[in-house]
Amino acid sequence: MLTDSFGRLIVEVIAIFILIVFFDYTFGWLERKSIAKAQFRHGPTYVGKFGILQNLADIVKLLAKENIIPKNADKLVFSTVPLLLLALFIFLIYLLPFPDSLGIDISVGLLAIFVLLSFAPLLIFLTGAASGNKFSLISAQRSVIMSLAYEVPLILSVAAVALYAGSFNIADIVNSQAKIPFIVLMPIGFVVFFIAMLAELERPPFDLREADSELIAGWLVDVGAPYYAVALFVDYTRMFLGSLLISLLFLGGWLGPYLPGLIWLLIKAFVAAVVIVIMRATTVRMRLDRLMRFGWFWLLPLAVLNIILTFMLFVK
Amino acid sequence: MLTRINVGPIHPSTHGVLRLVVTLDGDTIVDVEPHIGFLHRGVEKLAENRMYMQSESYMEKIDYVAPMAYSDLYVAAVEEAMGIHPKERAKYVRLILLEFQRIASHLLWLGAFCNDLGQIFTMFMWTMKDRDLILNLLQDVTGSRMFYVNMRLGGVSIDLPPNFEEHANKLLDYLEKRFKDYETFLEKNPVFIERTKDVGILKREDAIALGVTGPVLRASGVNFDVRRDYAYYVYEKLHFIPQVQTKGDSFARYKVRMREMKESIKLIRDALKLMPEGDALGMPIKLISPPVKESEVIVRRELPRGEGMIFMVTDKQRPYRLAIRAPSFINLSALRYIAKGARYADLFSILGSLDLVMADVDR
Repeated sequence: MLTDSFGRLIVEVIAIFILIVFFDYTFGWLERKSIAKAQFRHGPTYVGKFGILQNLADIVKLLAKENIIPKNADKLVFSTVPLLLLALFIFLIYLLPFPDSLGIDISVGLLAIFVLLSFAPLLIFLTGAASGNKFSLISAQRSVIMSLAYEVPLILSVAAVALYAGSFNIADIVNSQAKIPFIVLMPIGFVVFFIAMLAELERPPFDLREADSELIAGWLVDVGAPYYAVALFVDYTRMFLGSLLISLLFLGGWLGPYLPGLIWLLIKAFVAAVVIVIMRATTVRMRLDRLMRFGWFWLLPLAVLNIILTFMLFVK
Repeated sequence: MLTRINVGPIHPSTHGVLRLVVTLDGDTIVDVEPHIGFLHRGVEKLAENRMYMQSESYMEKIDYVAPMAYSDLYVAAVEEAMGIHPKERAKYVRLILLEFQRIASHLLWLGAFCNDLGQIFTMFMWTMKDRDLILNLLQDVTGSRMFYVNMRLGGVSIDLPPNFEEHANKLLDYLEKRFKDYETFLEKNPVFIERTKDVGILKREDAIALGVTGPVLRASGVNFDVRRDYAYYVYEKLHFIPQVQTKGDSFARYKVRMREMKESIKLIRDALKLMPEGDALGMPIKLISPPVKESEVIVRRELPRGEGMIFMVTDKQRPYRLAIRAPSFINLSALRYIAKGARYADLFSILGSLDLVMADVDR
């Protein structure tokens, strides 16, 4: 009995990890290709068919390079926290339910995810502050200040979802969207959630931490090549988490006709991811104080309005 | 607590080798100290050691984004010194090529500006594609894509090819459509508006006191354009209107450049219509140039980046002393005043809106 469940757990862990790697890799390629398309370029073409192996070549190159830790850096923090960040995001994906009872399905999944997710800006702050570079330090400060702007609206928009579904269990939330997905029922909530999620995922127009035209690479200025590979992995895993959350909470998750659930989930996640990439290609970056203003004067009232509307229309 | 950050000379947004020592109080800029001279090549001194027409190609390298404007400025100075007047058709040819060069320069600026605001090269690639078409057209005329060296005493080296008008009109129609797209794309984007409006305000009095010129000056509400106020070539015949904005912020500077490109399209169309037939070729470059008549000359031209001026003390075969007023250099000096009190993130949008070419600053 014990060995059975343990064996299943191992299989699930491996299966979900393969899923993460598959998404990260495909998304990395898709992002390069779609941004290239938006800019009248071809993107990667040489390595593999349609350049599909380009990212693999890049990862091999990055991992083969020497890892340099700057003299001013706090060595322990600087070399462990990026790995912790990666571990955090991978762990968060393990907390999500997948179709066919894959994944850990805990009863307070939604709460656990958003509580743990708020550690991410803190870990980014640690990396930036530990690297001993002033650009990284500014980026670290921005990371913390940004989280003040978007975290509250994010939680509130998720609260409306939990309110409607009457449960913190994500599988229950997905199943309560069987008739109509939440994006139709609470469009305001979706907009708030999507925008706050963009900030959480460090995607333009909210990529203030990585702001390449201002801070060179933000908290990643001083990381060596192997850690940069880790940071890329973090970025894409975070993207997977974000697009999974968007599709699970608002787009109906794995529910859909004809195709198996997992395929539907991946299709929805990829669609959300590509929309985010298109936004990346077109918008300019927001400023920190404007983001604060936007978060508190627009997102927060909208999130509250969304909760009130949800309560009055559906729950009461 | 004040923080001092060293931005550049290797930084993605300094447009070359500009070093800024920025003093920050939190996120607010207390002081910006530009350090220049990383690209100093001594063009003025080089010109003293060369025959008059040998220096033209050096002058083009001062501003590699709009090289033809500088070669025109230099050749105009030499022409003035020798008392040569350009031929009637050559005036039109020069005007058309220079206005195309202005559009090309402003297009590159537009792309780079959006880059500074945090876009990942999308606008840059779009405007570069349009700029490429203009470069192709200029290549058809001069045979070169980047450094044309097409100006000669009294005219141009190569006249416009026979099918130029047709190609140019087609290109202008295309560009007009593209500019409309760019305007919608940028001005309907609230984030772009937020990042540019009321950012980096340069007041009218300050702009005049600091001596800034070109689009930066006109964005501050000063109606001054060398093309109208000290008209050269055939600008007065073409009813040229300078584009002026009153606000003096980054958005006004963007708007002035956008409108200037449209004005250039109008100018080129008119010039193509009015252009007389005939000869536009100037004197070939010879070792011994015609005798110099003036001992001192001063010429001013409206370059894409502002007002360019050459002061030349002449000698028999080469300049005795040449001084160049580079518009980027003067415009950079305004940065310190504009950026004070702005947010750190706005430093680069302000810097970008000044349209600097570091080679032009350092000479």
